[in-house]
Order: sequence, then C-alpha cells, then structure tokens
Amino acid sequence: MGRIVFAAAMSHVLDPDYYERACGAEGRRKTDEAMAAIAAMGERLSTTRPDALIVVADDHLNAFSFNCVPAMCVRIGREVHRMRQDHAEAFDAVLEHMPTTYPLHEGLATAILADGVAAGFDLALSWEAPVDHAFLAPVNTLHGSRPIPPLVPIWINCFVAPQPTARRCFALGAHVARVVAKSDWNVAIVATGGLSHFPELSVARIGETDSVFDGRLIHWMERGEHEPLQELGADELHKTGSHEFLNWMVLLGAVSPARAEVRYFGELPRINLAAVEWRLA
Amino acid sequence: MEARLSRYAVNSLLYRLKKDPEFRARFGADPAASIADLDLSAEERAAFVARDMRRVNELGGYLHLVLSIPGLAVHPPRR
Repeated sequence: MGRIVFAAAMSHVLDPDYYERACGAEGRRKTDEAMAAIAAMGERLSTTRPDALIVVADDHLNAFSFNCVPAMCVRIGREVHRMRQDHAEAFDAVLEHMPTTYPLHEGLATAILADGVAAGFDLALSWEAPVDHAFLAPVNTLHGSRPIPPLVPIWINCFVAPQPTARRCFALGAHVARVVAKSDWNVAIVATGGLSHFPELSVARIGETDSVFDGRLIHWMERGEHEPLQELGADELHKTGSHEFLNWMVLLGAVSPARAEVRYFGELPRINLAAVEWRLA
Repeated sequence: MEARLSRYAVNSLLYRLKKDPEFRARFGADPAASIADLDLSAEERAAFVARDMRRVNELGGYLHLVLSIPGLAVHPPRR
C-alpha cells in the first residue's frame, strides 16, 4: 500500500536578487533564510526516498494562454521542460540557471488523471505544458545537487477568474491521497506559492500584504482545522493576496487531518515568505 | 464575479507581447501601428501606445504579464 511520506508548502519566488531589488537588504536576508529552511526540509524529503514528487502550483500564463485556462490540470507523459522566455524579467529570470528537463512519474500522474475523471473530477490533461518558477524554484531549492524524483505537476488556476473553489481543491487533494493509498508508491507532495502578496492583483497595491489573514491560515493549519479553510471564498482570497493558497488547499486535502509545523515565516513589504511542513502519521 | 473576468483583448495583447519577440519588436518601433487592428477601447489603446503598463493593469491587464514583459515590465518602487 502506498503512502504520502512527506508534505510541505512554501513560497515559490526563491530569488534573493529579486527580493533585494524589491525590498532592499532585508529582502535578500529573508529570502536566504526562507531558502535555508526549504533546503533543510528537502534533506528530510530525500531521506524518505519517494518514488514520486507531486507538485501543486499555479501557472502565470506561461504554460497556458488565453487559448485555454484549465481549472485543474495534470501533466502526463515521460518528461517536462522548464518554461523558456527570451530576455526574462522579474520572476521569470529565476529559471535561467535551472536544468531544462525533468522526468515525470507517468504511472502516478495517469492514475490521478484517469481515476479522477472516473470519480467526477473533470481534470484537464497536458502532454506538452512547460513548468515555470512556481514548480521549479521550490523543487530545485529542496534538492540542491541531489537527484530530483520523478515529478507529477498539477496546475491549479489561482489567478484567472473564475477560479476553482477552496473546497474543490481540498477535495482534489483527498482524491490524490486515495490514489496514492491504493498504489505501490511512496509519494511526496509539495504545494507552492504565497503567502499573502499582490492583493487584488493590482500594481498599485504591490507592497501590501495581509499578515493578520496569514496568521488565521497558519492557526488553522497548525491545529488541523481544515473546515474553515474550505469555506474561504474567492473574494476573500483575492482581496488578501492569497490566490495561491488554493494550491495549499490541495495539499491539505491530501494530508488532512495532519497538523502543520511552520519552518519559516518572514514578512516583507512585497510578500510574506513561508515554509511549512506537515507532521504525518 | 463578472467584474473580474479578464478583458480578453487587453490580455491576449499582453500575452503576445511577452511571448512573441518579433511582435514585441514591431510594437517597440511603432506601438500605434502594431495594434491598429485590435479590438481595444480608446482608453486601452492610449495606455498601450504610452507603454503605461500600470494603466493597462488598472484597465484589466493581468498582473503577472505586466510585471514580466521584456522591456515593458512594470518595476514597482522598492519598499
């Protein structure tokens, strides 16, 4: 019987240069601290020797375009490439030093997709979509020079309204846990993004965060109280800059009722950087 | 909810500016001519011609695009 052997969530712009430009020396220092905490989590991840690593993250209109924006999408196939961007700016530039190709766990990805559709989740699928910093910055920071396990990328539409609900994301996570349980694999799962930043996706509000709201999220996660988190609404997530918490909701559904342990929380004007790990039975 | 649905004309143009270097170069040389045939409001057109990505964002342009189009990206002040 398979099981989830590691679960963590973390911010995904992991670039000290980016946050030094945005927030000065404090930005560099806190990004370094967050990355050190994530690297330490990665050492624990590697000791579990997972057969696969599920990464739940969002797209920034790099994998998908206005041709189609899937609410939830599973990447299938044998390998995935990192997104390429000419003259990359801002968070796109963090990708440039990273490996270009990553193996996928075809069996687990296909099971999540096929069993999910059979169970009523109208999941989109992709053989070709590339992954951007939301996937690869955490994955590379977690592993450093160690080998990266075969990935299962899952996209959640966090930004282009109307997004899936928090409750539906949680339900998808519970589905993932059921698939893992009936498999033969030990699986790690990581959710990325957040915490509070870019409220209302407005340039004018860049530099504002909502630490009170983040405190509520952490409070519930630390106590394993997942019902109030499933009640979070789209407007609340939008106003507080918590769009990417939908990724975390998938992870919560996969590990519920496990309790979270905060490994790092650092407030910057631009974002609240966070690294959280779940205590699994 | 309806108010937050994307403005397709604005965002498809932003996406093309990010992902199509040849179009981006034409826009850089003559913004007005490069977008002349697009279904934009006068306000939207003026914001693009002025390369005012803050204004484009206020008019419904997707944040992560206006922050990451090579050569046109908004750089918010350090805080």
